[in-house]
Amino acid sequence: MASVSLQLISFSEQISQGAEARIFKAQVTSDSKPVLLKHRFKKKYRHEALDATLTKARVAGEARTLLKCLKAGVHVPQILVVDASEGILGIEWIEGQCVRKLLPGGEEPEEGEVDPPSTGPQQSLDEYGLTIGKLMELIGAELAKLHKADIVHGDLTTSNMMLRHPSAFTSSTKQDVPTELVLIDFGLSFVSTLVEDKAVDLYVLERAFASTHPDSEPMFASVLQAYERALTAREWKAVKNRLDDVRLRGRKRSMVG
Amino acid sequence: MASSSRPHCLLNEPDRPYLALGLEGSANKLGAGVIRHELDGSSTVLSNFRHTYITPPGEGFQPKDTALHHREWALKVIPDCMQKAGISMHDLDCICYTKGPGMGAPLQSVALVARTLSLLYGKPLVGVNHCVGHIEMGREITGAKNPIVLYVSGGNTQVIAYSRQCYRIFGETLDIAVGNCLDRFARVINLSNDPSPGYNIEQEAKKGQRLVGLPYATKGMDVSLSGILTSIEALTYDKRYRADGLARGPDDTDIITPADLCFSLQETVFSMLVEITERAMAHVGSKEVLIVGGVGCNERLQEMMGIMAEERGGRVFATDERFCIDNGIMIAQAGLLAFRCGLTTPLAKSTCTQRFRTDQVPVLWRH
Repeated sequence: MASVSLQLISFSEQISQGAEARIFKAQVTSDSKPVLLKHRFKKKYRHEALDATLTKARVAGEARTLLKCLKAGVHVPQILVVDASEGILGIEWIEGQCVRKLLPGGEEPEEGEVDPPSTGPQQSLDEYGLTIGKLMELIGAELAKLHKADIVHGDLTTSNMMLRHPSAFTSSTKQDVPTELVLIDFGLSFVSTLVEDKAVDLYVLERAFASTHPDSEPMFASVLQAYERALTAREWKAVKNRLDDVRLRGRKRSMVG
Repeated sequence: MASSSRPHCLLNEPDRPYLALGLEGSANKLGAGVIRHELDGSSTVLSNFRHTYITPPGEGFQPKDTALHHREWALKVIPDCMQKAGISMHDLDCICYTKGPGMGAPLQSVALVARTLSLLYGKPLVGVNHCVGHIEMGREITGAKNPIVLYVSGGNTQVIAYSRQCYRIFGETLDIAVGNCLDRFARVINLSNDPSPGYNIEQEAKKGQRLVGLPYATKGMDVSLSGILTSIEALTYDKRYRADGLARGPDDTDIITPADLCFSLQETVFSMLVEITERAMAHVGSKEVLIVGGVGCNERLQEMMGIMAEERGGRVFATDERFCIDNGIMIAQAGLLAFRCGLTTPLAKSTCTQRFRTDQVPVLWRH
């Protein structure tokens, strides 16, 4: 007898397959809000024992971090289902678009991605009432909140950030921008107070920007500016210095062989 | 290449066959190879010779001794290579050598040979990035069009994707290379360096039964391997460890053998490598993966990568030891591509460098 969460998956529509997991859009009852199910299926290339340990630890870890984020006021999806032994995590379905697709160079569809018919024509930043600069500020501010809560994402890329569609907000909610930047995929996240880990986190994002979006240096610079503004001068100085160190470390990497 | 306009592919259809000699000596292998680019755009490997400097078990190769080895063997390997190819030095279009990355002393000894030949026969020199050599040879041999490249060797561990005249590094090791990790562990348990420590680890791992828990350190698309090496070295001091691999009696069942450690090490680090490769594939939406570099001829790694690629509806490309392990022909291939785009290295600039990143090379021969 398969678990309830596995059964739910069998009735759901697969949205995409990322590197780690298959993503499903599930509907528990016909009138309820949709749920996003993230199934870390068995990786056959990995030794079974290793795979089971990793999967369980990652689902549980992801749920734990999401909870910590929610408490710290970082914008992340709500948690709805956790089934660590099956590798299933159910979270709030976010109506919107991932940041990668809204920036130049990020338009190519990812493998296994089925464009939902509701998306229609290419959604643009205008629809979210944002400029690239404003979007970078949102990213920087959100990352600062995350790091102030001592949470390290571990896999920051523009694919792992979403913008909530303006239609998801009721007119009563007061916002200076009509959207919200939501961080997703906390599969590699962990809790750390170390400046080192936070700097590496930023470095990973910097590299992701460079490899996905051409001429991204000014974009990432404004992410860092917004990040800086949300930190105290002392905190920022520590992260900044360490980030410079980490960058150098990455550069020096090419060695004998 | 700081021009504001976007560079474009400079490689034209060959108007005649082109011939290049490639010389490689960035680590403990001295390689020489001759390649011919045919009129129809295909390539022929005319010869591919290699001699490896093998040290006793428990020892690595020192730069000074390795350079000495290359200096001695160049006199045999290069003439053998030319004879097998059936051509004379005068027929060559260019002489390609490894500019870096690698160990300083061995690189210099081979660069010196290349310079001498260049002056003797009046042939242009082409300095080649070792990593780009691996990638170009892998593409040529396997026919992979635009793959994600996993480059794994004794000195490098990188996940690479091509974009806009550049091999971009998506992920890499944050500390030691995977081959270095395996080789150093082979030294710890005193495995032979012949034919290579990595090969002997692979054979030993086939006998392994027990998966020992090791750290699993992927950071985004990067990996960290030094902690795993420390951790597995510590296990050789564990009271359950039996260096001879034998139980001390019928009741002695809770034991860890060297084979178990080799098995666990391979399973853990290869899982990490496959994971970051899969991440890069998902990120750029590629369905092809090419494995190059010395560790790339490990069949367990190829098998794991194959399963991963299949699950994603893609496929894996890999080569055997002739082209995976450092060789001269890959330097000739990458060098000749550069030469046909008009890139040569003037004598005064024919230096070598220990640090030369894959993404520093303008890849003018691709669209």
